This record gives sequence, C-alpha cells and structure tokens, in this order.
Amino acid sequence: MAGLKTIIALSFVLAIGFLLVILSCALWHQYLPLLVVATYVVAPLPNWVCSRAANNDDFMESSSNGVVDFGRFMTGFLVVMGIALPVLFAHCGLITAPAMVMSVLGGLLIYATIISFTMFFQEEQDF
Amino acid sequence: MSSHRLFRFPKPQWLNNANTRTAGVYAAGAIFSLGFYFFIDAAAFSKSARNGSNVHITFVDWIPSICSALGMLVINSIDKSRLSADTFSYSGNGVAWKARLVLFLGFALIAGGLAGSVTVMVLKYVVPDYPFPTLWFGVSNVVANALIMLSCVILWVAQNMEDEYTYNLAL
Repeated sequence: MAGLKTIIALSFVLAIGFLLVILSCALWHQYLPLLVVATYVVAPLPNWVCSRAANNDDFMESSSNGVVDFGRFMTGFLVVMGIALPVLFAHCGLITAPAMVMSVLGGLLIYATIISFTMFFQEEQDF
Repeated sequence: MSSHRLFRFPKPQWLNNANTRTAGVYAAGAIFSLGFYFFIDAAAFSKSARNGSNVHITFVDWIPSICSALGMLVINSIDKSRLSADTFSYSGNGVAWKARLVLFLGFALIAGGLAGSVTVMVLKYVVPDYPFPTLWFGVSNVVANALIMLSCVILWVAQNMEDEYTYNLAL
C-alpha cells in the first residue's frame, strides 16, 4: 500500500519543512530556530525507547506500564516544546514574528512527516 | 457492578477505553510542557531587551514551580493499587498508610506551589503596583503552576482509568 509515491511525497514535505526552518534562520541571521528541528527529531525517541523497555510478559500486573506512560509523557512534552520555543523567542525579541511563523510551520511539517513515515512503513505485527 | 452505583448518571463508556487513556497521558505531557514554557518565557523575557523595568525574575519566583514539579513527581510515582491495600490481607503491614502519607506530601507540595505562586505574584508584583509587562512575570507564574496541577490531575485520572479497564477485562 505504501509505494514509491508515498516516499516521494513524504520527502517533498520534509524538504519544505526544512526549507521553512532554515529560511526562518538565515533570513534574519539568527540561528536559534534550528532548535525546533532538534526537538522534533528527538520527540518520537522517548516513546520508542520506553516501549522497548517495558516488560509486557505478565498480563495482569498493570504497574509495569509506568515506563510506557513516561515515554508518552515525554513525547507530549517535546511536541508542545517545538511550538512553544519559537513563540518564546518571538516574545522575548530574539527572533521576529515572521520567523516564528515560518519555524512553527516548518517544524510541524517535519514532525508530521516523521509520524506518517512511521505509520506507513510500520512492520505488520501478527500475533 | 451496575447495581452498586451511587449516582444517577452512569460513567460514559469511552472513559474506560484504552485509547482515551493514551490520549490522556499525551495531553498531560503537553499541558505540563505548556505550563513549563509559560514560566520559562517569563524568565527569558526578564533578561531580554524588551524588559523595560529593572525588576527581574529571581530564585524566589522559581520556588513555587519547583514545588509543583516535585509534587507531581511524588504523586505519580505512587503505585495506585497500594492505596487500598489494607483491605486485602496479602499486602504487608501498613503499606496503604505509608502510601497515603507520601500522597499527602505530594498533594501538599502541589497545593503549596499554587498558593506560593499566588503569594509571589501578590507580594512582588501586585502590591508595588507594577504595570503590565512586569506584572506578566507574576501572572505567568500562577498560570504555570495551575497548568502543572491540571496536568497532574489528568495523568492521575488517566492512570486510574487504566486500572479499571484491566479490572473489567479480568472479570
């Protein structure tokens, strides 16, 4: 189902996202919005690491799910951080408002690409 | 189960869904991040060129947020099934009592954080009658602590949801 067209479309969207973020940095010679890219690249990592770390061998004991919950909490934290950081920079006068809009849009495009990539190309799990 | 209900309106069915629980944990993280960055924004604004006044965020402003974050850590570290452990005979001596004591400490920390943020806002910014860009330091402190409290509530409810879900699955 996920063919060549999906890959091309996703890489296109990823390139637009990076273009927006880098443009928002380079146009005003202020490279702080690059942190958005780092945030969104790191964002799916806690979820992924913690889902491997959880032991799901015992069926009844629900307390072993704490690690998975922590990973989800950190992912939610990082996703909002990617939006909050440019707004913070713009509010404190470090970057201008157009740079803020461009970096937020670019960051959201990058994150959407990562999420849809993992959704499309997930390995089929059969029990 | 349904005959032991106390209230007239039943709990909606989607509350016991596992997806609702996952969304609740994500939302708790998002709200915590929002609160955290409200306060970081005030702290960065205090050092930026836009801050016209010579009032700055000092360590006093950080104390309520530190209390709230510690309280959230304490509350959500407790295993929820230990709270009612005294009703079962197989648990050890006084486990529920200790769990409730630690939980009380957590709630005290979180309530103290919220109350402390209001105190800092009133004493440091409202009483000297500062205009708004300076008053924002105090307001953002209160908003941050309220959001951390809300995030803690959502995380607590979401984790209890999961317990009831597995309980229904087991019966």
